[in-house]
Amino acid sequence: MLPDDALERLMESARAVAKVCESNSLQQWEVVGEQDYGHSIDLEAGKISLAAGGGSGGLGLRVVEDGRYGYAHLADASGAQRAVQDALSIARKSPSIAGFELPVDSGSAATSGLIDRRIIDMSSDDILEQADEILSSVTALDSRAVVTGGGIGAGAGAEVIINSNGIEDGGIHTSHGFGIQVGIDEDDHLTSAYEGSSSRSQLSDVEQVIERAVYWAQITRNTIDSGEVSDCPVLMTAQGFSPLFSMVVPTALMGERIAQGESFWSKRMGEKVIADHLTIIDDRIMEGGMSSSSRDGEGVLTKRQTLVDSGRLQSSLWSTRDACRMVAEGKVEHAQTTGSASRGGYQSPPGTGCGNLLLQSSQKSHSRDSLIEEMDEGYIVHSVMGAHTANPTSGDFSVTTSMVLRVEEGEIIGSLKQAGLSGNIGKALAGDLMLGDKIRSNGSYSSGSMYLPDVLLKQGLRINPA
Amino acid sequence: MVIATRAQEGPSQGRMHLLDRDKIQPALDLALAEGAQYAELRLVCETTNSASLRDGKLHSAIPGQEVGATLRILADGAWGVHSTTDIASIPSQIESTVRLAKAVALRRNRADVGVSLAEVPIIQDELHWNAPKDVREIDLETRLEMMGQVHAEADDDERIISVRCGWSDEHLHHELLTSEGMDRTWSFQRIMTNTMVTARDGDDVVSYRSRTGGEGGLELIEATDLGNMGRTCRESAIRLLSAERAPSGKMTLVADRDLTGVYIHEALGHPCEADLVAAGDSCLEGKLGEKIGSDIVTVIDDPMIRGGYGAYPIDDEGVDTRTKSLIENGVLTDYLNHRETAHKFDLIPNGAARAQDGLHHPLVRMSNTMIMGGNHRDLDELIEDIDHGVFACGSRGGQVDTGRGSFQFAAQEAWLIENGELTNPLKDVSVSGMTLQILKQVDGLTRDAALAAPGFCGKGQTVPVGDGGPLMRIKEALVG
Repeated sequence: MLPDDALERLMESARAVAKVCESNSLQQWEVVGEQDYGHSIDLEAGKISLAAGGGSGGLGLRVVEDGRYGYAHLADASGAQRAVQDALSIARKSPSIAGFELPVDSGSAATSGLIDRRIIDMSSDDILEQADEILSSVTALDSRAVVTGGGIGAGAGAEVIINSNGIEDGGIHTSHGFGIQVGIDEDDHLTSAYEGSSSRSQLSDVEQVIERAVYWAQITRNTIDSGEVSDCPVLMTAQGFSPLFSMVVPTALMGERIAQGESFWSKRMGEKVIADHLTIIDDRIMEGGMSSSSRDGEGVLTKRQTLVDSGRLQSSLWSTRDACRMVAEGKVEHAQTTGSASRGGYQSPPGTGCGNLLLQSSQKSHSRDSLIEEMDEGYIVHSVMGAHTANPTSGDFSVTTSMVLRVEEGEIIGSLKQAGLSGNIGKALAGDLMLGDKIRSNGSYSSGSMYLPDVLLKQGLRINPA
Repeated sequence: MVIATRAQEGPSQGRMHLLDRDKIQPALDLALAEGAQYAELRLVCETTNSASLRDGKLHSAIPGQEVGATLRILADGAWGVHSTTDIASIPSQIESTVRLAKAVALRRNRADVGVSLAEVPIIQDELHWNAPKDVREIDLETRLEMMGQVHAEADDDERIISVRCGWSDEHLHHELLTSEGMDRTWSFQRIMTNTMVTARDGDDVVSYRSRTGGEGGLELIEATDLGNMGRTCRESAIRLLSAERAPSGKMTLVADRDLTGVYIHEALGHPCEADLVAAGDSCLEGKLGEKIGSDIVTVIDDPMIRGGYGAYPIDDEGVDTRTKSLIENGVLTDYLNHRETAHKFDLIPNGAARAQDGLHHPLVRMSNTMIMGGNHRDLDELIEDIDHGVFACGSRGGQVDTGRGSFQFAAQEAWLIENGELTNPLKDVSVSGMTLQILKQVDGLTRDAALAAPGFCGKGQTVPVGDGGPLMRIKEALVG
């Protein structure tokens, strides 16, 4: 899937752009390059609907002059001169930020678990076989169950970064993932559930994920009469909680937003902001982490940093430019990069974001069954619709769920057809809550990847049955 | 590959093609010789500019150009696809992509019917929707000046702690060559500016955002009262600081144009997408010709509404676009189709095939989706007989489960309606419901239907869309 010399060729292209930068006597410059290859299969109506493959890539160029920066992206090195002129022209119209310079090389480090040779060697036939197995496994678990949508994919990519301050690095990463929407349509009653998984190495949890999808499509068939609007305990499964958490918490932890007053945790540095048994960590060097890398989006070495320690806000996420700008504008006395520069790809300059965000508790963690028992009466929510409508500025959210189970006397008694779920993420995390014992990784609506357990939120949420 | 980024020297002036016909046509012929039923190559060249202001200062400006192409081959009733930014490599991918399609076909059960495509006119032409003020001629100073107008009004209160303004414009050049002899080149452009205002009072922090733009050039932004856009955002953000949390439960809802648009996009538009119907993932399966809404509900999807953010002249299978009537007086009259689903449901392809860019294959998508106007004069007439309800405004987005037919959308701000009057401002209002129930609950529409703010729709791929309508009253909705 990945040509043997992909990294070398990409580095060669980046160096060619760098050479043009040098020939234009730019003060400071940074070139990034990406090249991705992959195979994917679309699943639809219980069968494979399409098989695809291909590759894409390009280069990005950032120039800095007297604290001003400009950016341009290009398809290949032949566009370097035009990109340099575009970026330079923008830099000269940008405000100067005192002290803003591109990062300097501070050594090298390797993050493990980002490449699996088995993925690089996967052919389109291998992926097709995996798709066959997924389809047949679903039907084997429940003959009524059909994969109504989803897909499976495997990919490998090369990325490089070079800058005028001595950073020159590159690497290869792989990924393997799948997601399935499983539906059971019987007696004019359709229930469905989406489950997925992704990994830097060959997937090892396919069967478990399929079992979960079929389980949730099955268990939500037992619908019961809706209850009344109530403020009550809610057990959010990791899958249900991750979208809301990811929409709100990474944004609230950005240094620039805290400094600007745009975070509900602004002016709270050093204070208790969530329950004192909780800790939030951004671990960008997590072995095999979906958002792990040895360097951040501007070449700074990455690290594991504790953002909220035992409930207290201890630090925040910074990239080089944001840190310099907030200091220059007097919004903070001191700030420096935390290796948290993130890119949406070579098409955009680095912004700030988290890597692998973990929510942990110093208290004993619990199995899902014991959390249900502890809840005694309330609801379990496994997925929500409209998580992207949550308000990251305030932490408020009001979403809908069709995957909601009613619990009474510590037992699941049935499913609601639909319910509203509302509350405030910041306040819910500051209230009485317990964490589950299994961490699951999920993607994010803002930045990075979420590594969260089930969370029993005893206060602050409202269920509004349809 | 660098392609001209200025209008007078670029493609889409009737003088330049990016695909070399002499190489591509024989490659498509080779696909047929290898056993394919159909082969196409679609290229998209996007010339883009984005910019942003933070608190009145230039934060970023990014010029760029992306070229991508997707080879799509149908063999033995199954699809194989190859996408790449390396355009020159495409002829070498023909045989492997035919093999890929055949490998998919081999996995079909005997009972499964293979993919066939509805017939469409085979056209060779060029069509360019030029704009009076081409986006490729806009300089950075103009973008900054325009965003500066918004910022100046948005920032005019000490409780406003930040104003973020964004800008994006893009010129899209498409070429499509098929083994059937289709050879179409078309282009169009879009422009948009947006603002997010954050206000703080003690520990209360809120934000409000707005967008304007559409298909066309700078003239669309010049025609907008940008100062008013900034002022409206500021006033709404300040109002939200003292707004109460919305009541929960079933009540009468009145939606503004933005929310009416999101509602019809989520609740009806997605379930009308025939690829979802074919996949067994739509609550509208088998309901063509059935009454699914109240008599006053008529809905169209129309890529030909020039200026709408979801407008385009030709779809990504080379089919001419047209107005699609989805519901007429409450009766479901059509699905949105591409060639595959049109054949499956024995319908006429209606130009709804859209791909995110040159690197993605087309799916069935909406364009500009609108509920048409009704008989109510204005908001006052719509709310005069409501004892207890909510008037919700401005979209924060929405989502739908097309199979179950449940949907959700969220408002930026709202007011309580008490005894026919707007009273307290509310925040965090979301609305949810079931498509097949709530379309019958629409019992009031004002006369003045129009597209609302530009939007984006995600379905694995993201595409720009327009949606809108009049002010709409829903007799009973679940408000949270």
